[in-house]
Amino acid sequence: MTAIKEGFAPNRDEILQVGIAEFAVTDEGQPFACYGLGSCVAIAMYDRSESIGGLAHVMLPSAAEIDGGQDAKFADTGCRRLFAELRALGAASKRVEAKLAGGSEMFEFEGIASDVGKRNVAAAKATLAELNVPIEAEAVGGNHGRSIVLDTASGTLAVKTANSEMRTI
Amino acid sequence: MKLDVNVLGTFHRMAREGAEQAANRLTQMTGVGTRVEVTKLNFMTAEDVQTEFGGRQHVGVRVDLAGGPGGTSIIVFEAGDARQIVSTLLQKTTEDEPEGEESFGEMDRSAITELGHIMNNGFIDGWADVLRTAIDISTPSFAAGASAEPIVGDLDEMTGDQDLALMFRSQIAAVGTRFGFRHYLFPDHDAMADTLARHRDGSDGFEFEKLIGFDQMVEQGATEVANSVTQMTGFKTGIEIRQLNFVPVESIPQQISEEQLVGVAFSFDGMPSGYLIFLFDEPSAEEIIEALLSRPPQGNGDGFDEIERSAIEEFGNIMASGFLDGWANVLGTAIDHSTPNYVRDMGSAVIDPIAIEVGQDQEYAFVFDTSIDAAERAFDCGIYAIPEEGRLEEALAALEVQNVDQASEKPSFPLDEAGGPGPDE
Repeated sequence: MTAIKEGFAPNRDEILQVGIAEFAVTDEGQPFACYGLGSCVAIAMYDRSESIGGLAHVMLPSAAEIDGGQDAKFADTGCRRLFAELRALGAASKRVEAKLAGGSEMFEFEGIASDVGKRNVAAAKATLAELNVPIEAEAVGGNHGRSIVLDTASGTLAVKTANSEMRTI
Repeated sequence: MKLDVNVLGTFHRMAREGAEQAANRLTQMTGVGTRVEVTKLNFMTAEDVQTEFGGRQHVGVRVDLAGGPGGTSIIVFEAGDARQIVSTLLQKTTEDEPEGEESFGEMDRSAITELGHIMNNGFIDGWADVLRTAIDISTPSFAAGASAEPIVGDLDEMTGDQDLALMFRSQIAAVGTRFGFRHYLFPDHDAMADTLARHRDGSDGFEFEKLIGFDQMVEQGATEVANSVTQMTGFKTGIEIRQLNFVPVESIPQQISEEQLVGVAFSFDGMPSGYLIFLFDEPSAEEIIEALLSRPPQGNGDGFDEIERSAIEEFGNIMASGFLDGWANVLGTAIDHSTPNYVRDMGSAVIDPIAIEVGQDQEYAFVFDTSIDAAERAFDCGIYAIPEEGRLEEALAALEVQNVDQASEKPSFPLDEAGGPGPDE
C-alpha cells in the first residue's frame, strides 16, 4: 500500500513527490522524492528486510509551537506518524532505520534568528532517539538546497545539490 | 461585513475540501487516481477576472446557489485542459473540429458539463460540510468563450458593491497527467456576511471593503518594480502576473520551480512586516549583469563573481525599495527593509526558509505573487512578498478607504524617483 492521500493509486514507474507537510509509505517499492529542500527536512524510514519504506517532508520542529497543521508538517509528530504507519504496514520496530536530509540555513536576515534548519534536524534526531530508531546516514546543514529520492525497498537515499553530482547515502 | 485571517482560513479549507471531493469523484468516475496539488484563494476585481481570461478560449460550467454563501459558482477550464480531461480522463477522443467558439461538440460539452457539475457539487458539499448548512444548487449550464462575459456573465453585476470576487484556483494531478481549473465564487453579499459573522474568531478583523487595499498593494508594488527595472536597465518591462494568494504556509514553496534560480531576499519591518524575495532564472541574471556592468558575466557557468553578485544585490535593493514604497503609499505607513541576501540555488529551497519563518507564527499566509518580464529580452523576474498576518490586519484595519481611492487616482510613481534610496538607507 502507498498512501499520501487515500485514492492515489501507486505507480511504480513514476517517482512520487512528497510535498511539504506530506508523508508517504509503501511496501510496493515505489520511489519517493522531495525536491528543493532548504531548511525543511526529509525524514526517511525503512525496514529493509520487509522492503517497507516511507518519507516525511517536515518544515517546523514541533507541533507544540503552533496551532493547526498535519502531523507531517512537524519533525516530532512527523517522525512518530511515519514510524506508526511503517509499523502498520508490517515493519518491525527494532529493524526500522532512518536517514535525514535538508535543514540548511539559506539566509541570514538582520535581527532574525534563522536557525530553524538546525532546530528541525535536532527535533527529528531527538524524536528518533525516543523511538529507538537509529540514524544510518544524514546529509544535513550547510547553506545549500537538496533534492532527494528514496528507494523505499533498500533505504538508499540519493542526494543532489544545485552544484554537485548526485551521491547516495 | 468583517473579515479576519480565521475566516479566510475557513474559506481555504472549504476550497481545499471541495477540490478533494472533486478529485475523489473524478477518480470514481474514471478509475484514474487523482490528488489535489495546490489550492489557492485569490481576491479579484472585475478587471482581474477579465485579465484572467486573456482572450484565450475557455469553457465553464455554472450553477446558482441557494443557502450558504448564495450567489453563483462557476468551474472554468482553459480549452486545452478541457480537451485533455475529455481525452485522457474520460477516455474519449475530442471531436475533431477546428479551434474556436464551436470547437466543443455536443458529446464533449455534455462530458465537460457532467464533470464541471460534479466538481461544483464537490465544492458545494465541501462548503456545506464546513459551514454545517444545506446549500441547494441549480442545474448546470455550459458556456464557452474567449472572454469573461459569455462564461461568467456581467462582471459588474456579479461583483456588485463588493468590488471583489473570490476565486479558488486548484490543480489536480492524475496519474500520468495534470490539469488545472479555476473556481469562481460570486457570493451573495448578505448571505456571505451572515456566513462570515458565524465563523469569525474574537479578533477585530477588518472590513471586507478594505480588501480593495490589497488590490492597490498588488498594483502599486508591481508598477514600482517594473519602473525601477526599466530605469536601471533600459528594458521595456511589462507586468505578466499580479496576484494575491491566500494559502497554507506549507504550499508556498510548491509554487516555485526546483530549477536553479538566482534570488535576492529581504526581510521588511513596519506596517506590515514580512519577507520579500526576487527570483530570476540564470539567463535573466546574466541579462541584468550585462545591463548593469556593460559586460557579459565572466563566470564559466559556475556562478557569478563578487562584482556580479553585488550588482544583482543592488538591483534587488532598488526593486525592494520601489515595491515597498508602493505598499507604503497605499497604506499610508512606513516600511523599512533589510540589506539584500544573495542566493543561487534550487528555487524551492530558496523560498522554503521564508515559508518556515512565516510559518512559525501562522498557519496561512498572504502571498503577493508578481512576475515582470521584458519585451525582446530573456528577462523574467518573479516577486514574492509575504507579509506577517498580525501587522497586515492592523495595516488594513487602519486603512482609510478614501486613501485607497486617492492612491488609485495618483499618477504612477515617476521614473526618476523609482530608483531612490529606501527609507532605511
